[in-house]
This record gives sequence, structure tokens and C-alpha cells, in this order.
Amino acid sequence: MDKHDEKTEILEPAFGSSSLNPFCSRRQFLKVSGVSIIGISALGPVLARGATKPLIIMEKAQGIVVADPIKCVGCGRCELACTEFNDGKAAPTRSRIKVDRNLNFGPKDVFAFREGQGNWGNGLIVQDFCVQCPHPVPCADACPEDAIVASPTGNVRVVDPNKCNGCKICLKACPWEMISFDPDSRKATKCFLCNGKPKCVEACPAESLSYVPWRDLTNKVPRRIATTAVIPPRKDAACQECHLPGAQKNLRQGMLSLFWEQVKDGKPASMRNIGSKWIDLVGVVLLPLVLIFVILHAGLRTVVKR
Amino acid sequence: MKRIYLHPLALRIWHWANALMVILLLITGIELRIPGVAALPVNSPALLAHRYTGWSMAISSLFWFVYSLMSGNLSRHYVIRKGDLKGILRQMKFYLLSIFRGEENPFRASPDERFNPLQKLAYGTIMCVFTPIIVVTGLFFSDMLFFRKYILLLNAMKVLDAIHVIVAYMFALYLIVHIYMATLGRKASSHIKAMIVGYEEEFDEPDMMVSYKEGPGEPDATTKMISPDKTASCQECHTEKEGANVDG
Repeated sequence: MDKHDEKTEILEPAFGSSSLNPFCSRRQFLKVSGVSIIGISALGPVLARGATKPLIIMEKAQGIVVADPIKCVGCGRCELACTEFNDGKAAPTRSRIKVDRNLNFGPKDVFAFREGQGNWGNGLIVQDFCVQCPHPVPCADACPEDAIVASPTGNVRVVDPNKCNGCKICLKACPWEMISFDPDSRKATKCFLCNGKPKCVEACPAESLSYVPWRDLTNKVPRRIATTAVIPPRKDAACQECHLPGAQKNLRQGMLSLFWEQVKDGKPASMRNIGSKWIDLVGVVLLPLVLIFVILHAGLRTVVKR
Repeated sequence: MKRIYLHPLALRIWHWANALMVILLLITGIELRIPGVAALPVNSPALLAHRYTGWSMAISSLFWFVYSLMSGNLSRHYVIRKGDLKGILRQMKFYLLSIFRGEENPFRASPDERFNPLQKLAYGTIMCVFTPIIVVTGLFFSDMLFFRKYILLLNAMKVLDAIHVIVAYMFALYLIVHIYMATLGRKASSHIKAMIVGYEEEFDEPDMMVSYKEGPGEPDATTKMISPDKTASCQECHTEKEGANVDG
């Protein structure tokens, strides 16, 4: 109790007979801040509506469209068939299956052999489609209107156009950017496998697309790269204009280009363009020198021994 | 002839594994390096081989450092001591001049002092300077995003590449000289054999070497010392005059 008395003794004169006349006393300040803290924390659930709602769990989809990148010719007929069936017109920009050439060449100044594949860009044609996520379903979890639901036919995730308000949150939520946006109706739209009869699969002329039962391929998806590029012999001849005989020509050219800068635009390039070739020049000059020295040493040893 | 145990088993295994890895890395590395062939796809065998072998070499170098520090290999055989400068000059003189005159190597390897001062310098530079540099720069190229982020941020890829490649050329130079100087033993194969079995054959004197080459000689009579008081008993059978015995 002594401490309490001490406190009031100090505080009372400070508040009561203050000549500074502050715009609010400490007591008022504490009151207001306390109330506002309680008020804001009470508002929290209201502000965070949707963020704290439980994860949506849906039944697994029954089927999925898969693509064989080796067979795909990139004609885009699947996109046309998709939009023709769903929108009544050919509009590939809002197609639910997305076929494109991967031309993102990665960050600047990275070696060519380091550029990787997939999103790093290797110029191959990629086929992207909704993978019908089992759990979590990012688009459905993100939707503030709970408009993405499992369809009664095949449990595919489908946008309910009556609930969708066109906020585009699901477009950002999907890790593969597989939700399309219909600018006419201003609603999101996504692949729902055409109720079990995908029109893209029917339209594919190269038999690249197929409709298969859904199964979990997490961490099992093979590389999206055509490892067995087969070039018919008659086209092979044309390749050999540049690639003959194999790597040897390239090797010879590479070694030669260490010493002679290629002539560009009629005038030889200056030493400023030597780039990183000096590194190899160090080795190309030093290695034979040491080799010759060693051979001379060995030769001299045998000669003197005799 | 003595057999001296020079190279412990662990270091012998490490040496040959490392030799294999360095050769593989140099071959694949030059293929990655030569301009015109450099634009390799991610899954090219040369790149993959270089990457995995590089990882193996990083691990084996780590093993070498841990082993050498724990067993005293580094402090006993690699630290350059007082007087080694003179030794380096002596060895250089031997390798550049005296060797042609057929002189003996002034240095004798022993379990306590395995390397001559020149070897100490070369191996110390390779293991304590070049290997860490090439391994660390190699690790920076790897797909560890933690590293790559900062490399790209600093735009240091080209600098690292220059260091990596120059040190790699140093490795190639070292390899040539190392292989050649490994044949400079008593016989061309003696150092290499020692690196395989662990024992170096040591001859104390040149004469012994000759006798060894010709096979075991006759026991030397002059070294048999019989004390004079014992010779009396000998003379029961062996009289002073050999001729008398024959006559008898």
C-alpha cells in the first residue's frame, strides 16, 4: 500500500496543478488507447473474413486431362475446342487448357547451360491444365464467396457463376495460374473437364492429350522435356550443315576462336571483346609449355644416362 | 633392403579416388568450358557428371582435411618449417641439374618426414589453397538457391567462373608434373607402387642395391670374427696348414 500512496503523491500534483495544460491527460490517453485496442481487436475477425475460415476439403476428382509433350505439335486446337464448347466462340486467351511455347529465358548473365527448363524457359511447347488439386484446393480456399465447388459429376472443381463476384482472387491463388477470367460476364472460369467428356481431348489431332483417372502425381511428374527427339534422316542432312562432324567441328571452332576473333561487319573485333577467353588462353598456353618441359626433361634424362 | 611404411591405407584410398575424380572433372570441365560447346542443356551427361563428381570431390576433400587434422598428417608432413627454403633450393637443383648426372636424390623419405620440402610446398598449395578454392567456387555454381541468390545479386558469376577455371588449369598443370615426377624414383614404378601398397623399398647403400639385384651373395668370410682362444678348438680338425689336412 505504501507504493500505491507514493504513486498518487507523485501523480496528483502532476495532473492536478499542471501549468502545461496538455490536450489530454495521461488517464484520458490510456482510456482512449485501451478502448481502441479492444475495438480493433474486436474488428479483427470482421476484417479477416475469409482468411481464418477452415480449409475446404473436397472429394478427389475422378478424372484429369494429361498431355504428352513429345506428341504435342502446339496447334492450339484444344484451346479452340475448349472455348467453342464453353463460350460459344474461339477465344484462346480464356481457354481453360493453356498451350504455349515456353520462351522465358531466365535471368540475365546466366550461362546458357544453367537456364533450366519449365518456367526458366527452354523454348519447348508446354501444355498446362487444371490438375484438380485434392487438398488443399488453393482457389476454393481463397474464394471469399465459396464459389468454387466440387461438381456432382466427377467431383471436378468448378466455378459456380451465380456465386462468383469476379474478384479475381482465385486467379492469384492458383499456383499454376490455371483459372481463366471471362471479360464478358466478368466471372472466373476454370476447367471442369466438360462434365467428363473433355472437348480438348476430342480435338487433339496428335493424340497428345488424354483423359485419364485422377491419381496423385506429387513429386512423380516426369520432366517436361522431349528427351528422345527423333529427326528423320532426310532432315538430319540439313542439320549437318551446321553440326558436322558432331562436336569435333564445334571444338575446333572453339579452340580457333580463342586465338582469332571472328570478323564481324567487315572489321575485326577489338581486344576489348575478348570476354572470358583470356582464362582459357592461360591454360592453352601454359599446358603445352609444361608438357614440353616435362618431355624435354625426360628425354634429357634418358640421353644423359646413355 | 628395408621396406618403409609411408602411406597409410586411408590416404592411399583417398589418393586414388581423388585422382580418378580430378581426371573426370578435368575432362568434363574442359568439355563444358570450350566455347561453342558451352551451351549445353541442363541434362547433358558432361554437366551431370561434372556436378556429381564435383560433389564427391567436395566430400572427399572434407574427409582429407578432417583425417589430416585429426591424425596429425597435416601438421607433420605439410607444415613448412625452418630450413625448408634451403631444402626447396636443394631439391630444385637436384631436379634441374643433378638428376642428369645420375646423382642420388638428397632427400630420403621416412615415416616421420614423408615429403621433401618441394613436395611439401606443392602438395600444401594444392590441398590447402587450390582445392578449397575450386570446391567452394564449384559449390557456388550448384543449384543451392541460398547461394545463387547472392551470386546473381552481386553479378559475381563471371569472377567465380574465372577463378574456378584458372585453378582448374593449375590442377591440370600440377597433374602433368605430378605424374612425371612420380616416375623419378629408383625405378620408374617404385613411387607409384609405394602409393598402391604403402611400402617404399629403401636401399641403404648403392652396393646393397647391386647385390640385391644379383640375388643373395656368398656369406662374407671376413666379417666372421673368432676370438683367438676359441680357435684352439677349431684346430683339432682344421690344422694351421691346410695342406697337412689334405695329406692326412
